[in-house]
Amino acid sequence: MLISLNWIKKYVDIDIDNDELVKLIGSRLVEVEDAIDQTHKYDKIYAVEVKYCEAIEGTHLHLCKIDDGGRADKVERDENGYVQVMCGAPNVRKGMFAAWIAPGAIVPASVHEDAPFVIGMRKMLKKYDSYGMMAGADELDLGDDHTGIVELNPATTKAGDDFAQLFELDDIILDIENKSLTHRPDTFGIIGFAREVAGILGKPFKTPDWYLATKASFENSKDIQVDIEISDSQLCPRYVALVMEPHGKAEHKYLSFRDTLLARSGMRPIDPIVDASNYLMLLSGQPTHTFDYDKFIAVGGTKTPKIGVRLAKKGEKLVLLDGKEVELVESDIVIASNDTPVALAGAMGGKDTEIDENTKRVIVESATFSLFNLRKTQMNHGIFSEAITRFTKGQPSAQTLPVALEFANEVDGLMRPVAVFDSQKTAPKAEKVTVSVARINGLLGTNYSIDEIVKTLQNVEFTVEQKDDSIVCTAPQWRTDIHIAEDIIEEIGRLNGYDNISPILPLHGTADADPCFALRRHIRDFAASRGANEVLTYSFVHGDLMRKVGQNPDNAYRIVNSISPDLQYIRQTIVPSLLDKSYANMRGGYEKFALFEMNQTYPRTNGLDEQNVPNGSHSLALICVGKGGSNYYLAKKYLEQLLASLGIEFEIAPFVAVADKTNAYYEPKRSASIIVDGVRIGDLGELKAKVAREFKLPLNTAAFELDLGRVLESQQAVTRKNFRISQYPFVMRDITLELPIERPYGEIEQQLRATLEAEQLIYRLKATSIFRAEGETQKKISFHIEFSHPDRTLAKTEIQVIMEKLEQVK
Amino acid sequence: MSSNAESKIAELKAQLKQLNIEYSKIKDIPAEQRADFGKKLNLEKQKLMAEIAAAEEAAAEVDVEALDITAPCDINGEMPEFLAADSGSKHPLMTELDRVADIYRSMGFDVVESRQLDDEFHMFDSLNFAPGHPARDNFDTFRTEEGYIPPAHTSTMQNRVLQRFKYKLDQGENIAVAIPGRVYRNEDLDATHEHTFYQCEGVYVSKDCTLGNMLGILREFFEKYYGQKLNIATQPGYFPFTEPSLEFKIEKPACIGGKKGDFLEMLGCGMIHPNVLKQAGIDPTKYQGFAWGGGIDRLVMLRYQLSDVRFFESAKLDFLKEFSC
Repeated sequence: MLISLNWIKKYVDIDIDNDELVKLIGSRLVEVEDAIDQTHKYDKIYAVEVKYCEAIEGTHLHLCKIDDGGRADKVERDENGYVQVMCGAPNVRKGMFAAWIAPGAIVPASVHEDAPFVIGMRKMLKKYDSYGMMAGADELDLGDDHTGIVELNPATTKAGDDFAQLFELDDIILDIENKSLTHRPDTFGIIGFAREVAGILGKPFKTPDWYLATKASFENSKDIQVDIEISDSQLCPRYVALVMEPHGKAEHKYLSFRDTLLARSGMRPIDPIVDASNYLMLLSGQPTHTFDYDKFIAVGGTKTPKIGVRLAKKGEKLVLLDGKEVELVESDIVIASNDTPVALAGAMGGKDTEIDENTKRVIVESATFSLFNLRKTQMNHGIFSEAITRFTKGQPSAQTLPVALEFANEVDGLMRPVAVFDSQKTAPKAEKVTVSVARINGLLGTNYSIDEIVKTLQNVEFTVEQKDDSIVCTAPQWRTDIHIAEDIIEEIGRLNGYDNISPILPLHGTADADPCFALRRHIRDFAASRGANEVLTYSFVHGDLMRKVGQNPDNAYRIVNSISPDLQYIRQTIVPSLLDKSYANMRGGYEKFALFEMNQTYPRTNGLDEQNVPNGSHSLALICVGKGGSNYYLAKKYLEQLLASLGIEFEIAPFVAVADKTNAYYEPKRSASIIVDGVRIGDLGELKAKVAREFKLPLNTAAFELDLGRVLESQQAVTRKNFRISQYPFVMRDITLELPIERPYGEIEQQLRATLEAEQLIYRLKATSIFRAEGETQKKISFHIEFSHPDRTLAKTEIQVIMEKLEQVK
Repeated sequence: MSSNAESKIAELKAQLKQLNIEYSKIKDIPAEQRADFGKKLNLEKQKLMAEIAAAEEAAAEVDVEALDITAPCDINGEMPEFLAADSGSKHPLMTELDRVADIYRSMGFDVVESRQLDDEFHMFDSLNFAPGHPARDNFDTFRTEEGYIPPAHTSTMQNRVLQRFKYKLDQGENIAVAIPGRVYRNEDLDATHEHTFYQCEGVYVSKDCTLGNMLGILREFFEKYYGQKLNIATQPGYFPFTEPSLEFKIEKPACIGGKKGDFLEMLGCGMIHPNVLKQAGIDPTKYQGFAWGGGIDRLVMLRYQLSDVRFFESAKLDFLKEFSC
């Protein structure tokens, strides 16, 4: 939203400089995205009188001599002091007043371009000197009209007047971030914005009388009857219809102050009716729409207008003003003439009731609609006009009648009001809010006196009564957002400046670490310090990703309004996401790597929790990819050492494919379940060949995924209670056991340990190789063993007995 | 794969190829017979494809050699070694979240992680959003078929933490909780917009805490975070769940290239709306509080002067290794 500070100044005295004002507005009302300085945009542009005008035959040009009051320098003047300028506009003529861009001035429309256009002296048709330029509305950045030059009203213009001064164009334009005013419909009009500025500056504001009108100053014509039928007052809290008829003739069109205000606010002057509507919308926040009266009743087939406001019906269509036919949605509010839709409420009028050059009587609509429905209309039909932007903030219904009546004033001379109809029979009662001074200061951390508080509110036209140490406030009719004490407290804090409140740190202790955070931090440190890379990947995945790994998308929550199919399902496990990200890294030149992620997963098969929301799991997934031996055993090493570091006793057990298919990507013959206290807490394994191929990954790719909730439950303090130091020498031996190929290594190691422990030995045991010769059915496992007795030096015979026992393990 | 299974699969595939050739003849068949012809061939084709899949599956299973899941290494293989420590890395967002959590903890805040799938009640109803509020519609917020919501803000946890910690109020203590977590917004992806990002929420409730206290806590947090004194500023804001609502800004710290008068918007905040306290069973006439929420991704981008938010979820080692231990 663009706000002209000069327009604001029409309603409030501002006695601080612009920079300071912009800063105050930013800190006490709304984010100012940009303050566009236009104070020099119209420099060296003068009002001039055309003293001489001669058409050059065979061209569209006129040779003109203009009186600039002697203002311009760097020009040649004739004996009368006039300057010669050529002009191609068809409306140029002797005696008119025009805006002249003097040599050396920048064409205003090009001010914000990279290379602003500077006017100088030009030689035209090879012989005529032409100084400067007589400007059209488009060149002045005051309109789109390029059919002629702007005309200035001779009654209010002298030759040599500064153009900027005539229209108060030395302005600052504030570019406002609309979003932060979502809850303040009143500030979407200049009056409301100016009121806030007054409040911020600590000055009382006075709303113009017309805005407070509660009835028309004219009597309704007996010949006119308009029926308004609203199907649901939630959809349309108030509908005012003003009927006007032609009266007077269009005056000669001079550039007006109002035209420049429209232009400064980002709109364009178009015609008297549209301009009046736009001007009042910018001023008050209240949009209006004008129907052709006769077309309106023709569409409805009625003698007098029967205006209906209702929801659209399924399948209904409407051709809008822009010529597009839209299929209406059932949340759209339509204006109907005797039940035939003629306008999409709040968004756009219909073609069938559009005003045109033959229009006689008009119906001016000034109404409020459900902002929720209009928001849907806006999104469904892609209409983002200035009007609907204001409507979707929920404009106060109190202003509908005054704006309709003021509309009549704005088009005075062209049309006159004959009757006005209002759907609202009794005005809603104003709410009163009571709040104590102690409560205000107690919530803000301030020390405002009751007088300061009362004045703050009165400045922005609250009615305030003092009652002991409390105030009883009645919000003005445009403040539909004031309901509770906190709303009043906000006004006090904000208008006086939150930045004037002292930040005070309350006393505090320290809090304990959350065990889940501590666990994840431990894992993060553990894995990263062992060469693995932590990643984050999306929670949302493509259904195809699940299908590729053998998961069932029906077991995943599906997003109905996903951005793309890539992001349609909530993932059930993390490993598939890591598979998906691995190939790109291989192709990026990384030959061997381990990726890990800790995140939440929500498989549908987890069911709901006690609050009836989906049960999530915290998971850790790690994948090992690349050359150099089996990644299964590398992943296993990460897993085993991690669990050991957490004091968790676990078992690597044969793989179990679970019924919900969440672990369907592991190759059962080359994977394992991780079991703690008889419960599976995760899986470890190589991928099925098919899955590896889908992701272009080597067959030796392996991964594991653990339920961190279970890990947390199983976590034990790591103790060293069995740790002993031997005073006696260690015996070092290597042994090799020959075993059937299918004999699990784990059991062998278990037996060796049991044997050593049975002997009460302090020992260190490490497998050094597992070997199988070509064609053999046996494998050879070699161990390096170091042991010592805590109480004595082991005798040779003892050692021999121990070794024999160890060698018997099979 | 046994040669037997292999030849069986090859044979089935040859049949499929033949069937496809048959299919291409459809254009020569009289129009009225095409539908039947197509249907018949389709049925055959589906049957064949199922057979091929089954044969392949069976062959694959037979083919797989079991490995000893309990061993430390492969038969005839080398003992695995961890990857080089200096190639490992922690995700910068996670490191930052840990730091943020540490600072809040040192300031007495319990830290609770936010959920990643929630419902209408926690996302909106409990936070005083009006029934038809635009934020609820599908243009901003994702929903599952069942109507669950991947939360668009960590505020979705406010009601839960208020309920969980309100016992502290009865004990004469304060509620002070920080809630980091992953959130989602229906936004198109570009260098500065992610649909998946991280936020941290703060909730504080006591008998008499003030807006001034909120500013004090926030300033303290950012001063600890940046390790220097900071100027702060505010701007009025609007959130249904706080009243008054503010945007909180800090003067951009020198360590990330700040100049005087250069303010950064860090988060939205405000005094908790009485309806939010009521929804959590806390009497707003006895207790008052404040809450805030801000993005983490931006903190990390500012700290490392990253140009593109999409790096975070890219899982690209080129990026990750920039953060090696």
